[in-house]
Amino acid sequence: MEQKLISISVDGKKIEVDPGMNLIDACALAGASVPSLCFMKDISANASCGVCVVEVEGAKALVRSCVQKPVEGMKIRTAGPRVMSARRTAVELLLANHPTDCLSCIRSGTCELRVLAETLGVRASRYPKLKKFPPPDTSTEGLVRDDSKCILCGRCVAACAETQSVHAIAFAGRGARTRVTSFMDKGLANSPCIQCGQCSVVCPTAAITEKDQSSEVMAALADPRLTMIIQTAPAIRASLGEALGMPPGSLVTGKMVAALRRLGFAKIFDTQFSADLTIMEEGTEFIQRVQTGGTLPMITSCSPGWINFIETFYPELLSHLSSCKSPQQMFGAVAKTFYAQKTGIDPASLRVVSIMPCTAKKGEAGRPEMDSAYRWWREKAEKDGTKMSREHYRDVDWAITTRELARMIRQSAIDMASLPEENFDSSLGESTGAATIFGNTGGVMEAALRTVYEILEGKALPQTDFLPVRGLQGIKTAEVPVAGMKVKVAVAHGLKNARVLLDDIAAGKSDYHFIEVMACPGGCIGGGGQPVLPDIGKKLARNRSLYMEDLRLPERKSHQNAEVSALYKEFLGQPAGHLSHELLHTKYKARIV
Amino acid sequence: MPTTLSSQSSPGIEAIIQKHKGTSGALLKVLENVQEEDPKHYLSESSMRSISSLMGLPLSQVYSMATFYSFFNLKPQGRHSIVVCRGTACHTRGSLALLNEALSRMGIKEFKEEEENSATSLDGFASIRTVACFGQCALAPVVMIDGVVKSRMTIGKLVSLLEKMKKGGVE
Repeated sequence: MEQKLISISVDGKKIEVDPGMNLIDACALAGASVPSLCFMKDISANASCGVCVVEVEGAKALVRSCVQKPVEGMKIRTAGPRVMSARRTAVELLLANHPTDCLSCIRSGTCELRVLAETLGVRASRYPKLKKFPPPDTSTEGLVRDDSKCILCGRCVAACAETQSVHAIAFAGRGARTRVTSFMDKGLANSPCIQCGQCSVVCPTAAITEKDQSSEVMAALADPRLTMIIQTAPAIRASLGEALGMPPGSLVTGKMVAALRRLGFAKIFDTQFSADLTIMEEGTEFIQRVQTGGTLPMITSCSPGWINFIETFYPELLSHLSSCKSPQQMFGAVAKTFYAQKTGIDPASLRVVSIMPCTAKKGEAGRPEMDSAYRWWREKAEKDGTKMSREHYRDVDWAITTRELARMIRQSAIDMASLPEENFDSSLGESTGAATIFGNTGGVMEAALRTVYEILEGKALPQTDFLPVRGLQGIKTAEVPVAGMKVKVAVAHGLKNARVLLDDIAAGKSDYHFIEVMACPGGCIGGGGQPVLPDIGKKLARNRSLYMEDLRLPERKSHQNAEVSALYKEFLGQPAGHLSHELLHTKYKARIV
Repeated sequence: MPTTLSSQSSPGIEAIIQKHKGTSGALLKVLENVQEEDPKHYLSESSMRSISSLMGLPLSQVYSMATFYSFFNLKPQGRHSIVVCRGTACHTRGSLALLNEALSRMGIKEFKEEEENSATSLDGFASIRTVACFGQCALAPVVMIDGVVKSRMTIGKLVSLLEKMKKGGVE
């Protein structure tokens, strides 16, 4: 049904708007940008901060434009002394209890409160500091919550509840004791929090941030006893430039490699290499499940926030998950076995760092079962009767986010824009276009279909692109004819969307064969470790950039990756073979909170 | 719903939820009833977990509501309740002295009015709480003892009421 447009005037400019929209968006249409701290398009409109006030002719009080709908003939004034004074007061009230450590704050460069205070000319708060805060919540591996920096805008609560349907955090208490917290104030680790970090990308201040490990990595780089190698997730090449001030969607693959080399990493490898490897394993697993009557639909397992989600909320469906580890973990396991053996580097002094668009990757790297390389070397030592150092190590030592890498690059005064384009190192650095699109929602599915089709049909795909699984709609479905079978696939991103597919499976109503789930909206390009405060435009730019990279690469199908083929030939044997299972596959278990 | 820690199976809670099923504001009524029926007159972690899983509501949401209303207790309450009104009218007529008298008679040392609104004596005999206003300002200062509002309270009257309480008169 088409809505009848109404006419309003904004700062004297007449425009026609949909009466269902928020006044703040209507003002934007008229070219007047109204500041706000709690409102975030598509995320939240709480009317809690009081910054978005505008003057409406005939109204007694100022109006909060984030929740007010336009009315025919409404005359709005978005600036002027009355509005400015109210906005300044609102910000002063927020600053009353806010720490003033902006100089050393992790969000100093991206803090909306700091920028707004500066813009409005707030030099000091007239109000006394009254609140006391508990120490920051550092209970999880991925995220830190600091109540003292929280302005109670509610964006994180909305992202957690509405985008992800996780409800780990909510407002508790009342009045001056109001806080954002988890059940019984027990910290995120004791809540259903899945570590996706969507809260951290919408937070206007530093109240929720990634647990920053960049200085640990910098310290390790300075340690001559260690060999530091690095892997970069697909989505980073489409967002690192943006994090360093380039336009959203800037594709910086070669410059990123150059920057990492200048930071001092011994080898620059690519998680896309292990994404191709993942497709070989996952594609084979899928074919086996179809041919042997295994559990279907099979669901992808690359996104650790998603793994945490299904382990917490749908443990009865764990058998649907592919047993494949994520590309990050496959890389770690291969690097510390195959690569270490091949190069003669002691795996105990080899450190694997990954650059991830994701806060949940930190926890994934820390899972106790993710030490396959250690176990492999121990078994080998036992078999050969040789001694092995007792020092335990994990497959991936540090998983740091796009934001942390950007910080390291800035600290090192490396000017990305002026760097030459450099190439990844071999033999864990080659990748295909199929691996690049892993960073987009629908990408893992498309990559898998490209390979599964060619394995089963034994001939080249007539068309490499699977357009129905692309784009940012919440749930995408397609039917793909492969070898006489109609393969029904579905793709969901954002866990509220994933729930729809999961509830169908639980009710026995799902007839899909293969489902891709990514925890974050947009997939990894919209990950919780990506540049903060994204909007749909930025996400689309990152999304397009990865499809451009797919076209740029000489090979576009995972089974055409020569280094992956060499890995099978020299080391692993067959996809889904014995050694693959030992190193590249994993198990899941119900998580009780 | 997430898989939660096993909460004590509570037929009482189930019955309460059944009673309010489908009514608007069901969670609020359920929390009220569960607290009323709890021997220690509070919402324990395990009863909130039961409510969450039986009603299919996130734990964070149950906690959000339970902490919003000062009527809900998240700590076990004493057998007796003493509520001192700290509204403006009662304050000007000496309610702070009444509060301090009650606290010291019950042996409660730590009570920061600006941080908490209730405290319970170590022996679990009585809980003392403050409220902003009973709406009985004309009769200020007022104190509520075990659910009964006592008006125009003086220290003398309060002491004799508390003595009576201790001797079991009120119990």
